[in-house]
Amino acid sequence: MELLNTVFEVFMRTYPGFLEAALMTLKITAVALVLGTILGLVFALMKISRSKILQTIANVYITIIRGTPLIVQIMFLYFGITELITLSGFWAGAIALGIHNGAYIAEIFRGAIQGIDRGQREASSSLGMTRAQSMRRIIFPQALKRSIPPLGNQFIITLKDSSLVYIISVQELFALANREAAQSYQPLETFLVVGVYYLILVMIFTYLLKLYENKLNVDK
Amino acid sequence: MLKGTNIHKSFGDLEVLKGIDLEVAPSEVVVLVGVSGSGKSTLLRCFNFLERINKGTIEVDGQVVDPKKHKLSKIRAEVGMVFQHFNLFPHMTVLENVIEAPMIVKKMKKEDAVVLAKGLLEKVGLADKADVYPSKLSGGQKQRVAIARSLAMEPKVLLFDEPTSALDPELVGEVLSVMQQLAQEGMTMVVVTHEMKFAREVADRVIMLDEGRIIESADPVTFFENPSHERTKQFIQLVD
Repeated sequence: MELLNTVFEVFMRTYPGFLEAALMTLKITAVALVLGTILGLVFALMKISRSKILQTIANVYITIIRGTPLIVQIMFLYFGITELITLSGFWAGAIALGIHNGAYIAEIFRGAIQGIDRGQREASSSLGMTRAQSMRRIIFPQALKRSIPPLGNQFIITLKDSSLVYIISVQELFALANREAAQSYQPLETFLVVGVYYLILVMIFTYLLKLYENKLNVDK
Repeated sequence: MLKGTNIHKSFGDLEVLKGIDLEVAPSEVVVLVGVSGSGKSTLLRCFNFLERINKGTIEVDGQVVDPKKHKLSKIRAEVGMVFQHFNLFPHMTVLENVIEAPMIVKKMKKEDAVVLAKGLLEKVGLADKADVYPSKLSGGQKQRVAIARSLAMEPKVLLFDEPTSALDPELVGEVLSVMQQLAQEGMTMVVVTHEMKFAREVADRVIMLDEGRIIESADPVTFFENPSHERTKQFIQLVD
């Protein structure tokens, strides 16, 4: 009971700051998801293209990104390439997250596209469609639908992984929680509260994805 | 209309077609029969360039098709194909399935494509199903939509790859009667099928493939009553 009281107390004291921080978490996640989805689509198409060069580029990208920790990628973009370009914490974090997700999303799209029955390609070819027309009109719309559940997973991972940008001082949820916990000497209550913020965001996300999936399910 | 000369096709070490010569005249209905593995479906897929031949030539409407030089999508638009498993586009309604290729490939205006599609759906007896999705249709209905979809491209030749093999027995008739109607209207057709009744009644010519070669080619009466090859006799006894 005692704990509940102090948690509530911490919640009431911190919510103005946390709401602002939650907005920052959402912004960084949104930028990362848009970038990640675009990169994912581009690299998926490169991977299934008939060009060996494009395939190789996509493979190198996916191998490097999946083979190194996200936190290293964030530090690399923020501190590592200052000779080339100086990025703000927000942009370094969002871009790192986006590039990181692109590799995973590429594999999701590739798997979904290759999972579409070969007959669909053959039918569209036999009607005179080019490879590009068939991909755009027939294959991809079906692959997108199949990608929604794994994409949803990936989106949720991204939302939670965005906490790692605290390392480059972006004032998102986790960075604020970390500071609050240290200043108030109430780490238990503070991390409980921030955990609830993440949980609620993830639940809203899941619900929105479910709505979208149902909308795409008209043919069932 | 469609002419194959000395067609050879191998999958790895397995030679499936061993020099096929076949010419299909305008408005002719050719039925290809043979045991499974005889190469009849492969031959059909070669005519649509879904498989590349290793040797020989294919002519469509008097023009030799060179897969390296010609845009295959252009040629395929003239040679329609109906598949065993229908391959309708599940994310589109029946009407959308039919108008898709005319709009995307031929750049036809939507209103015109819809008029065309509705006429074709009427023809295959499915005008009332225009707005439903394929998942709501029976196999026979799906195959009739697939036929309408092919017809929408106004192909010069229509290839049928075992169009009734995936259907429940009671649904076979509705598809065959649509095909028979097309034949009567003068559509040039090449049909791979096990429906011997269709071969007898509709075909102008029945061709028997065996181990990648044509061993019998005759009008239906001669083919079924007086085949020249021993393998053909065995086959007819087997399926009849």
